[in-house]
Amino acid sequence: MVTLLLGIVIALICGAAGFWLRQQTKLTVVEVSALLALVAGLILPRLFTDGGLFALICTTVSYATMCSGKRIANYMDMLVTSLICALIVYFGQSVLVGVGGRLGTSAAISVLLFVLIKERLNPGSRQSDQGVKT
Amino acid sequence: MLHYVVIFIPLLGAALDILDVLFTPVGRLVVLGAAVVGLIAVFRRPGFSLGPQLAKSALISLVGAALTFVLSTQLNLGAVVASALVGLVGAQVLKGRDQLVLYLGAFVGMSSVLRFPTLVPLIVAGLLGGFLFELVDDCWIGVGGRLGTIAATAVVVVLAITGGGL
Repeated sequence: MVTLLLGIVIALICGAAGFWLRQQTKLTVVEVSALLALVAGLILPRLFTDGGLFALICTTVSYATMCSGKRIANYMDMLVTSLICALIVYFGQSVLVGVGGRLGTSAAISVLLFVLIKERLNPGSRQSDQGVKT
Repeated sequence: MLHYVVIFIPLLGAALDILDVLFTPVGRLVVLGAAVVGLIAVFRRPGFSLGPQLAKSALISLVGAALTFVLSTQLNLGAVVASALVGLVGAQVLKGRDQLVLYLGAFVGMSSVLRFPTLVPLIVAGLLGGFLFELVDDCWIGVGGRLGTIAATAVVVVLAITGGGL
């Protein structure tokens, strides 16, 4: 349980950092995502016993930060998506093991779940497939 | 809309994996059946054409996959660091869509050496990833993780053909 909670906290920090980088710098989506994943992959395994898992969570969150501004419009959106990412990676550790793209798939599921929840709670915010509010 | 099946293959694979049948004959048949249905739908889309961009994306994706796999498994950098390095360096060299395709290839290359004991299936998955990027260009636009999902589609389909490894 401690691992999960710590994973969620790290995911939230990573998500906020990614959103800030997207908003405040001219880095491309690939650069932002790769930068976050690189820092997480180099630092977290050296800091924590479960650092490998935390690096996977951060990497997944970094992929979620590649969303268009219409899908994830503000920090709260990003934080909720990061939380979902952390939960999916933590509880899905034994699924598709060793399959490249697994983390990206987790990120996409998180984003789609978030969009679904957002639309359920606020039907007026329905988004089209192009990521544009209609 | 039927071509969306292609991008849902990793989710189908995950469901089959939870049921522990993904790389059994039945699971492989289901995955390959979904891939065939999705690809037929892609090819029958109005305006579909096999242009040079398709080959270019396949090659870029292949390079990303091979580089990441070698960095990850031969230099022991680990999948996360290897793919991030390929993505970062690639972003300095390539522009626009090509950056995305290289990063997609890097996701394919994050696969375990236990899944791909030899390079040939990985190369095929890398090429397939680039193809799929072009073929499902209208799916999940603006969704973070889309590239990884396309990469996972390529990997799961190739593993369904080869037997799954491990």
